[in-house]
Amino acid sequence: MQTKHYQKLYMVPYFLWIIVFVVAPLLLVLYYSFFDVEGHFTFTNYQKFFTPVYLKMTFSSFWYAFLITLIALIIAYPVAYLLTKTKHKQLWLLLIIVPSWVNLLLKAYAFIGIFGQYGLANGLLGLVGIAPKQILFTDFSFVFVAVYIFIPFMILPIFNALNELNDTYIDAAKDLGASKWTTFRRVIFPLTIGGVKSGCQIVFIPALSLFMLTRLIAGSRVITLGTAIEQHFLVTQDWGMGSTIAVFLIIAMFIIMAFTADRKRGA
Amino acid sequence: MNNNTIIQFKDVTKQFADDQPVLDHVNFEIERGKFYTLLGPSGCGKTTILRLIAGFTQPTSGEVLFDNHIYNHVPANKRQVNTVFQDYALFPHLNVFENVAFGLRIQKFKEKDIEKKVKQALSFVNLAGYEEREVSEMSGGQRQRVAIARAIVNEPQVILLDEPLSALDLKLRTQMQYELRDLQRRLGITFIFVTHDQEEALAMSDEIFVINKGKIQQSGTPIDIYDEPVNRFVADFIGESNIVKGTMIRDFLVSFTGKEFECVDQGIAENKKVEVVIRPEDLHIVPWEQGKLQVKVHSTLFRGVHYEIICHDSAGNEWLVHSTKKAKAGDTIGLYFDPEAIHVMVVGETEEEFDRRLESYAVDDTSAN
Repeated sequence: MQTKHYQKLYMVPYFLWIIVFVVAPLLLVLYYSFFDVEGHFTFTNYQKFFTPVYLKMTFSSFWYAFLITLIALIIAYPVAYLLTKTKHKQLWLLLIIVPSWVNLLLKAYAFIGIFGQYGLANGLLGLVGIAPKQILFTDFSFVFVAVYIFIPFMILPIFNALNELNDTYIDAAKDLGASKWTTFRRVIFPLTIGGVKSGCQIVFIPALSLFMLTRLIAGSRVITLGTAIEQHFLVTQDWGMGSTIAVFLIIAMFIIMAFTADRKRGA
Repeated sequence: MNNNTIIQFKDVTKQFADDQPVLDHVNFEIERGKFYTLLGPSGCGKTTILRLIAGFTQPTSGEVLFDNHIYNHVPANKRQVNTVFQDYALFPHLNVFENVAFGLRIQKFKEKDIEKKVKQALSFVNLAGYEEREVSEMSGGQRQRVAIARAIVNEPQVILLDEPLSALDLKLRTQMQYELRDLQRRLGITFIFVTHDQEEALAMSDEIFVINKGKIQQSGTPIDIYDEPVNRFVADFIGESNIVKGTMIRDFLVSFTGKEFECVDQGIAENKKVEVVIRPEDLHIVPWEQGKLQVKVHSTLFRGVHYEIICHDSAGNEWLVHSTKKAKAGDTIGLYFDPEAIHVMVVGETEEEFDRRLESYAVDDTSAN
């Protein structure tokens, strides 16, 4: 009895943490979403969300998040695969992860320097005889920087999945007549799909609510739901509308989590 | 080499970096439709031979031939060989049907044919009706059968089996030995089976290659290898043996433990130092005065089928006896054996020299007749 009692006691900090920092904020967001700017209870926020302005914003958020995830995946999978084949794979992996420890804002400012009118990128273009281009404040620069920032989070789970893959499965596929491509398509990829799913989850969900980068790199050309929330809370002070968008974002996240979760086979 | 030869190794050496070679100038031929066993302790190079045949690795030097063509650089997926892996390597994301169908789908068979062939292969290994099962739902023995079905369904010329029974319990292992042997006879394709278990090798094979330290020590039928081991390693590794030092007096007479005994070996130089092998089951317990050897019982162990009795003679040699007769520790008993039970090995004799000596007997026999 005594030990059981203590075990419950150990759980207290965990529950406190969950209640104060997870459950309470979610409930508060939900609560605020039912009030307008003047503090009256209303459903208009939800009506407003289904107007073309917000629907377009939602669509563009999803579209950019999708693009960022897709490009990150296309780059990360081969990189992770090559990493598992290198001799000092843990060292190489560390080198790829290190930039993710640098503050996001610092990296964003660095890219402002690189992509600027007199930055490194335009300097290099000039060397090959191309006139300076507007790189900063374009869709391209936004996606490029976002992919750069998220890519370590995509590589890591895929690397782990590939690293744990038993080599005899590859031998077995070859033995049964599979070419390299068939082996990849029929064996390696299906067996590492778990890593791909977690990578997509880790990238897609934060990419959906990106807001700093949209302003700094995309120059408010790209307005996502994240940007809208920020604007409502800090600029228009319409906490109600901001909360409503947040509610939809949270719902979207739960849907994506359910969608990318590992389903148990053969149950 | 004859027309029946399907695989041939010519002077094959495999070496990683500057380590000791894993295989050291190995030569052998594999004939169509036989059951071969590569037998040896772990690390002897037997799995490397299998990987060379499968095409997962290339020899450092020498040639691997299939049907008389050099196959050194033919990739694994272009070889008419299928492997049953030690841990089965069944694809966990596919069910039993899809695992077996894997090779057929790559060969682009029609869906109808695939279904027919897979069903046939599964019924061959007594797994009819298990098509829709997940691999994770199968027991070790069933997985083993799926792995075999996945190999035979492609109708390869050769099936390689890498210690496939080592993960099974004793009863199932014995049962699978019968089934594999039976399957090989029914299919009529070449099986190359790798194991470190000498009983398995003796029970199943047409021919055994005993391998140690990257070299083939001896090859032959199970009976040849058991009865006529070429050296101490083979005698010791295959079954249990009593090996004592002796001297060849002349043909048909050998001396050991200070006495002379009649034997059936010949063609060895007189007074040559030899090693004498007598199998424990060839030693019979008799009263002291009737024995060819007089020994003192050191300990006995009941093994079910027989007693395992360890004795010492006056010269200090240890003798292991398998007998259904009981003996008490401390007893002094006699051991009797037939001249045929004595097998004489010449120290340092290679398999070629050994074979030549055996052949020379045959010539003598015919000329005598």
